[in-house]
Amino acid sequence: MSEVEEVSGQPGDFRVKVRRKARYIDLEKCTGCGECARVCPVSLKNDYDMGLSERRAAYRRYAQAVPGAFAIEKRGTSPCKATCPAHISVQGYVALAAQGRWREALELIKKDNPLPAICGRVCHHPCESACMRGKVDEPVAIDFIKRYIADLDLKAETRFVPEIKQKRDEKIAVIGSGPAGLTCAYYLAVEGYRVTVFEKLPVLGGMLTVGIPSYRLPRDIIEAEIQVIRDLGVEFKTGVEIGKDFTIGQLREQGYKAFFIGIGAHECKKLGIEGEDLQGVYPGVQYLREVNLGNRIFLGDRVAVVGGGNVAMDCVRTALRTGSKKPFIVYRRSLAEMPANEEEIEECREEGIEILTLTNPVRVIGENGRVKAIECVKMELGEPDASGRRRPVAVKGSNFVIEVDAVIAAIGQETDWACLTPECACSLSDWRTLKVDPVTLQSDDPDIFAGGDAVTGPATVIEAIAAGKEAAVSIHRYVRGEDLRRGREKRWEAVQNVPTEGYDRIPRERMPRLRPEERLGNFNEVQLGFTEEQVRREAQRCLDCGVCSECYRCVEACLAGAVVHDDADQVQELHVGAVILAPGFQPFDPSVYDTYGYMRLANVMTAMEFERLLSASGPTMGHVVRPSDHKEPKKIAWLQCVGSRDIHHCDHAYCSAVCCMYAIKEAVIAKEHAGRDLETTIFFMDMRTHGKDFENYYNRAQEEHGVRFIRSRVHSLEEVPGSGGDVEVHYVTEDGQVVSEVFDMVILSVGLQTPDEAKKLAERLQVKLNDDFFADHSSFDPVASSRPGVFVCGAFQGPKDIPQSVMEASAAAAAAGSLLGAARGTLVKEKEIPAQRNVYGEPPRIGVFVCHCGINISGVVDVRAVAEYAKTLPYVEYVTDNLYTCSQDTQEVMKKVIREHNLNRIVVAACTPRTHEPLFQETMADAGLNKYLFEMANIRNQDSWVHGMDPAMATEKAKDLVRMTVAKVALLEPLPEPELSVIRRALVVGGGVSGMTAALSLAAQGYPVDLVESGPELGGQALKLNSTWRGEDIQGYVKELSRRVSEHPQIRVHLNARLTQVEGFVGNFKSVIQNGGDPITVEHGIAVIATGGREYKPDEYLYGQDPRVLTHLELDEKLRADDPAIRQARSVVFIQCVGSREPQRPYCSRVCCTHTIHSALEIKRRNPDADVYVLYRDIRTYGERERIYQEARRAGVLFIRYSLEDKPVVAATDGALTVTVTDHILRRPVRLPADVVTLATAILPNADEALAQLFKVPLNEESFFVEAHAKLRPVDFATDGVFLCGLAHYPKPLDESIAQAQAAAARAATILARDRIRFPGTVARTNPFLCSACGTCVAICPYSAPRFNERGVAEINPALCKGCGLCVASCRSGAIQLQGFDDAQIFSMIDSL
Amino acid sequence: MNAWEPKIIAFLCNWCSYGAADLAGVSRLQYPVNIRIIRVPCSGRINPKFILGALRHGADGVWVSGCHPGDCHYIEGNYYARRKFALLKSLLEHTGIEPGRLHFSWISSAEASKFAETAREVVEAVRAVGPARHFIKTKPTWDDIEAPVQAACQVEVG
Amino acid sequence: MNSSGSGNPMVGSVLVVGGGIAGMQSALDLAEMGYYVYLVEKEPSIGGVMAQLDKTFPTNDCAM
Repeated sequence: MSEVEEVSGQPGDFRVKVRRKARYIDLEKCTGCGECARVCPVSLKNDYDMGLSERRAAYRRYAQAVPGAFAIEKRGTSPCKATCPAHISVQGYVALAAQGRWREALELIKKDNPLPAICGRVCHHPCESACMRGKVDEPVAIDFIKRYIADLDLKAETRFVPEIKQKRDEKIAVIGSGPAGLTCAYYLAVEGYRVTVFEKLPVLGGMLTVGIPSYRLPRDIIEAEIQVIRDLGVEFKTGVEIGKDFTIGQLREQGYKAFFIGIGAHECKKLGIEGEDLQGVYPGVQYLREVNLGNRIFLGDRVAVVGGGNVAMDCVRTALRTGSKKPFIVYRRSLAEMPANEEEIEECREEGIEILTLTNPVRVIGENGRVKAIECVKMELGEPDASGRRRPVAVKGSNFVIEVDAVIAAIGQETDWACLTPECACSLSDWRTLKVDPVTLQSDDPDIFAGGDAVTGPATVIEAIAAGKEAAVSIHRYVRGEDLRRGREKRWEAVQNVPTEGYDRIPRERMPRLRPEERLGNFNEVQLGFTEEQVRREAQRCLDCGVCSECYRCVEACLAGAVVHDDADQVQELHVGAVILAPGFQPFDPSVYDTYGYMRLANVMTAMEFERLLSASGPTMGHVVRPSDHKEPKKIAWLQCVGSRDIHHCDHAYCSAVCCMYAIKEAVIAKEHAGRDLETTIFFMDMRTHGKDFENYYNRAQEEHGVRFIRSRVHSLEEVPGSGGDVEVHYVTEDGQVVSEVFDMVILSVGLQTPDEAKKLAERLQVKLNDDFFADHSSFDPVASSRPGVFVCGAFQGPKDIPQSVMEASAAAAAAGSLLGAARGTLVKEKEIPAQRNVYGEPPRIGVFVCHCGINISGVVDVRAVAEYAKTLPYVEYVTDNLYTCSQDTQEVMKKVIREHNLNRIVVAACTPRTHEPLFQETMADAGLNKYLFEMANIRNQDSWVHGMDPAMATEKAKDLVRMTVAKVALLEPLPEPELSVIRRALVVGGGVSGMTAALSLAAQGYPVDLVESGPELGGQALKLNSTWRGEDIQGYVKELSRRVSEHPQIRVHLNARLTQVEGFVGNFKSVIQNGGDPITVEHGIAVIATGGREYKPDEYLYGQDPRVLTHLELDEKLRADDPAIRQARSVVFIQCVGSREPQRPYCSRVCCTHTIHSALEIKRRNPDADVYVLYRDIRTYGERERIYQEARRAGVLFIRYSLEDKPVVAATDGALTVTVTDHILRRPVRLPADVVTLATAILPNADEALAQLFKVPLNEESFFVEAHAKLRPVDFATDGVFLCGLAHYPKPLDESIAQAQAAAARAATILARDRIRFPGTVARTNPFLCSACGTCVAICPYSAPRFNERGVAEINPALCKGCGLCVASCRSGAIQLQGFDDAQIFSMIDSL
Repeated sequence: MNAWEPKIIAFLCNWCSYGAADLAGVSRLQYPVNIRIIRVPCSGRINPKFILGALRHGADGVWVSGCHPGDCHYIEGNYYARRKFALLKSLLEHTGIEPGRLHFSWISSAEASKFAETAREVVEAVRAVGPARHFIKTKPTWDDIEAPVQAACQVEVG
Repeated sequence: MNSSGSGNPMVGSVLVVGGGIAGMQSALDLAEMGYYVYLVEKEPSIGGVMAQLDKTFPTNDCAM
């Protein structure tokens, strides 16, 4: 999870800045068990499956990913969490609620807010104002979701009471039982303190109880949440007034270590107008307090409530409920500025309460000392004031009088500070609030902390809660003498780049409410609460702004303790000698083709998406179904060149080089998956199957698999109405007919392009890109970028397939190696391994380690029972069980146990040997035991994970597996790993460009080379070529290359030479070179075969009969000589595929199309008036070569397609040469006069059966050498130590030959770099006494490891054996054993079943 | 007799089918508990003797699985395995071993669901043919013998 | 430690950017050639696009 930010310095000595992004999971600790993902509530599109499936925010890219550790995706802090004063993980509980995980959601909320049921009713929910869903439609109803979660817990028999961390003796006093005090008490109680809450009033809850009417916040809700605090052991004392009944000084004497003051603001501000002292004028909070304490106060029918906050709303609605007929609001600003909750205003309206806005009282008019009326003035909005709101200004002369029975002033509150007696040092602000440190909430008295309205002035419940929580943190630190501030000045920044596009509009759920007529005369709760369905629907509207919701479920689920939520990016500086860039490609996004309807039509998908659909590990497990209705398709079409060879839609002039082949592959595989009756059709322009064995694949797809190929251009796709998603393909055939056909699915064969990130990377690293945004490079140095010391490979260098990428990757390694040869081996260290203990002859002493793997095994299998059982097995001396056997500390324990108990065989019953065997074997080696005395019982992947439903049987199976493994391990023998020294010299066969390049590369890396060339000079086929398709001069290049090779002190060139004898094997070859004189014997560790190829000389098209009919190379020669016959030719005809793609030689020669077009352009350049025709079957200018095809068309070269069945005819009549060809567009024969006919003839390998025999390497039917693996080992042979490059492998242009030669040198260097080669011990061995010399093993071994020795019996060379055991199972005399998997060992497992 | 559960030995090649079994675990795909896996480097390593040995030691079924044709880690070991297995299977059928006892499959390391599915099929097929009787060298206890056989034996003894 | 040509001290380590098939192959070769290799990959795991492919042409090999 890293990226390179900067590279400075020079080749051989670079400084690199690498940013390692936060993974949020400790790579070292993660065991890859996946519990974090299982509990993660956040789902998002899985980009590994191209968005066709979902994954969690805690994820691993795919099951077999390396490393296997998970990661957590975070975009940032969600706006709801960042905005919430208490910073509750809002997105987290919403995500949990979406899945109905109520209890987990509640516990999450209570980490930051102990009063969610209260908050769920009265919070002013700034989270909702920040909610990004509001940008799509409306914010998520977060507060109501919280209320539902909290209410469920209130109803539960057992309320959630958090665990007290650790009982402590210190006493803490909390003064005031409002939300701040309650919260502070709660968190201090959780920390284990003895907390006492002192409350002046006879009831608990402060403003919650006496300030908020119960129709908004029912008393039982408050009581229930306070009960939890009681359950935590907090003591409450009501009716105790600090400063009067006790002073803080007295409490200090009683042993209270710290104080929290959260006494709120219960004193009303005055209106400050005439008549305020009249009877019938009430301060708002006082009025509410009286009513809430149960005193019924009837105010009369007409009540003016002055103010626009929630207290005003509460007063006016309370008045209505206590019998007033017409209470109303008087507010000086407009409705938009009212600070009251929108919902409350709305509910007021429902209840018929009038709100007079832009109205201000100026005088209360009395009669007999009692209120009679109120005089008001109209206001208008002027300039904005300090609060940002527009200041109301009185409108002169607009005074009016309203008759009222009572006036309630609800314009603000302040605090009564009687509690602060003289022994307190703390001081008040100008606003009569307590001065405290804004972060720690500590006052001038170090032991007094404060928060809530008493500090902030009248504010909100959630702010009071936040303060209570912070104060608790401070007090906890204060009591323990810790730094109060450390790490607390966190700045909460909401994530910015949240995408809000592409979401459907889903309206917010509406809160069910008591009908207005049911509200009168009672204090029943108005808001009735969401239903479960509403909550779930609402929660699902969340946009997952932060991606990870920070619900912290993973923290609890991870028993290995690997989750690190506060992980951060790290920038590291590295010191390196060279840089290799392989950032790859991204599939083209076809949305720009509006006529193809990608994203709009459900059943049109990209080939990458289809790839996932085909994959056994994909979203449908390889079951091919179409997205719209999950039906199995019967007809699928592929559209080629989407995002390739197209400058109209996407400015991609190049051919992506891989799409033809992958489309054919997908068509073939789709048929395998979906059955043979699946019809597959590929719409294409030119079929480009130019790689090794590609043409065969294409032919088989047509002939054997019945894939249909239609040469055409598709102009649009449309959905067939009412079909459930069928797609109609409209296309134009070659001869101009418009045809339509309906398919179930259409796959867009999208091309490759350089990702934006890679473009930016190139810019940062000052690596030049070409017009197609691939790394700029020369054909002669294909992996060197524009910046010396920085190399490029793979699809970043140019569009290409896997084998080509692998070759270039090795080539880049060779290039780096050539640069840094002098520093090789300076930074790598061999690990020291202690001497092995000799255990021969000892009876087995087996140690068994049974792993719990957290709960991954022990959650199903009774691990203790398995361990107990293991103790009963023969030879078992020691058994233990571990939480994580693979953890670092367990490895240390294991080493100790091995020594202390003198163990000589180890069994680990845990996960799979495929991932963990090397780890345990290393531990064994560290403990001085031979690593082959080890075996694993796979009781996780193959037991607990797959038999979760049946713990009893899974436990039995685990016992069986342990028994079988113990039986086998008892029979294991220590195996030596034979070591052989390496002769650090190379032999290269072939002195063409490939051979020379390989030789030079090896020599530059410091290895002496013998170069054997059969001809009289170096250079090979390149001597006959003029320039590359890019126009680079080949002649000059080859001469220079030959000179460098000849003069290199490390290279010995043998001309007119051939190999007559080769003996030995990797690291130790001995060969004899014959060049006319005395045979030369050379010893070498590796060999590179670069024997090249040659041009095919045809016997058709009058070749050899008419001098005007030439091959490619002959034309090149004439061009070099500036032959007038060419310069003056009026008409030149090129015929493609001469001797290629024919039944007798089915492969495509890959280079001819480019060569022809390059020559055609050259002819046009020399003589623009000449008519140049190219008769072709498919134009295969793959990759960026496509550019010269386009150039040729622009230059007026005429391209006429012919078919294999109707080949052109060359005739010479009356001295004139003509070519007749059937034009596919006109569908009739065309006769072309020709002064010159050039045949693009096939490339043939210089087939060398004898050489193949000498090195025991295979040739294919066409006499090209066969590499070890077509994709992954394109320059290796199956025989170790022998490598391959150039035309001997397959026809290829010069740049690819050079890359392949460098690759061969790199692969060879991996062997030559070592003094000695160590071979694994698990190889086959023969028993000479049993061998009957039948030769079966010699015949079947794919690695030529067995051979007959001088005594005439089979012997296996451990250096060549790969340990497959094929010979063992085939030996009819039972003379061969495979060490580590011998018959007795396998039978021991079978026997103990 | 109702409690009888087939015991099946599976020989899986390390590179493909054993990997598929591991991946089935990672994907938590559930399949019957009756299979005991023995890991071998290549399906080509499997000697027909192992299969006979498994049957002799009381396995009710044997399942051999390797890489897909062309995917063998050792180039062509799986082809030899297939050849040997086909021969052995017809031979064993000739001696009275039910075809449902022996199974062969190609499963790549990515085909977890195919692995689980095949495991279910193998177990069901073996269950359908019942407990193995041929080749078992260990002496069965009286209770292991099916009722009709018991009856027949008693007649003979009597 | 000095290369014959430039006279600069050469550092025996290489940075490989990209953990796809090409990057992995470069890194493996270099490590076996005796260089210390740093492999930088933007995703949490290596494998690149090839790990997403089902089968690969022309052999229909499993890409995994």
